[in-house]
Amino acid sequence: MNKPLIELTDEEVIKEFQDNNTLEAYDILVKRYKDPLMNFVYRFVGDRDICSDIVQDTMIKFYLNKDSYRSFAKFSTWIYTIAGNLAKNELKRRRRRSIFSINNSDDERTPQIEDKMYLAPDRATDSEIKNDIIQKALIKVKPVYREVVILRDIQDLSYEEISEITGLAIGTVKSRINRGRSQLQKLLKHIYRE
Amino acid sequence: MKKIYNEEENYSELLKDLKNLPKINAPENFELNLMTRIQNKNFGYSEKNKPQFSWLKFLTPSAVVVTAVILFFIFLPNSSEINIPVTNQQTDSKNSIENKKQNIDNSKNEINSTHDIVKPSTPLSIQENTASNARSRFPINNPRAIKVDDYLSGSNTNQKEISRGNVVRSAEEPAEINRFFIAENPDRLKLEKERVRLDSIKKAQAKADSLKKIKK
Repeated sequence: MNKPLIELTDEEVIKEFQDNNTLEAYDILVKRYKDPLMNFVYRFVGDRDICSDIVQDTMIKFYLNKDSYRSFAKFSTWIYTIAGNLAKNELKRRRRRSIFSINNSDDERTPQIEDKMYLAPDRATDSEIKNDIIQKALIKVKPVYREVVILRDIQDLSYEEISEITGLAIGTVKSRINRGRSQLQKLLKHIYRE
Repeated sequence: MKKIYNEEENYSELLKDLKNLPKINAPENFELNLMTRIQNKNFGYSEKNKPQFSWLKFLTPSAVVVTAVILFFIFLPNSSEINIPVTNQQTDSKNSIENKKQNIDNSKNEINSTHDIVKPSTPLSIQENTASNARSRFPINNPRAIKVDDYLSGSNTNQKEISRGNVVRSAEEPAEINRFFIAENPDRLKLEKERVRLDSIKKAQAKADSLKKIKK
């Protein structure tokens, strides 16, 4: 009756890892979550290298603190919370660095949203340019709104899951998502006509 | 629910684009790197959070303490310069007692040696000593001091008419007293006696003046 580990749910796999310290179970969870987390962290931070480090650190944290996971919570929300906290710490670190940096120009601090009109046509396809513009606009949205917008509209998580990850009430989550979307729409007004 | 639906409708294009954003995948060597880190126990993240010993944290307070100690010794007044009058008085009195004892011993020896002549040296020497001690303890400006008898009889050589109140004026000059004395509460009886004495002196002076005038 023993199912192979790969067929078990996240919660069952982590139970196996907690009880028997099975590296295979850990590996399965890493495989399941490395890409979603990578996507979430990249959209939040906007840097591939840093995002890869953050996801690695998330997995290390999960490995070291496996016993702090309680079975009444969903594994996905638990691992997203870890990744989100590490991403927020990275943003704080960057902000601190930019404050004390000598070359503290506005160009470096806030990414500029390129106007579609000024991009060379041979550089990329239309959709690639659009995606690039959206990502840069997303980075300009306040982090508190950005996080919930990414979780809802890019990662496709439910309000309940977002509420669990962020530790906010569902009402607050909804209002933040709405504000985030509104900010994003304003930043992309040259693409979307209101 | 209707409101949310309407709101989502407002951003429908944006939401569609957000959902269609390309998914970012982990690099190919992600798992390999992760497992290598775990096998080597290279938990960079957790090590960052550990409280580490830093020389700066250790040296800053110790440097402050050391400078404070150095400054204390630099600005500390020389202990030999500190005079405590009470202790000085005590040492004076101790010295005088020792002197007295010595004198008494000397006199005893003298008495033993002569057997015949009884000299009143002991009380005198003690008196002299006490007087000298008193002088040393209360140094009065000798050249400016006036003997009361001479002053009354008018045979005072030190004093002229101009220099009357010399003793009082001398207080304006730097005092020769180089220590403090313990203040004593005045005795009323003593004060009254002193007042009576001064009154009689004044009367005697007035009489002496009138006699001088008569003589003239």
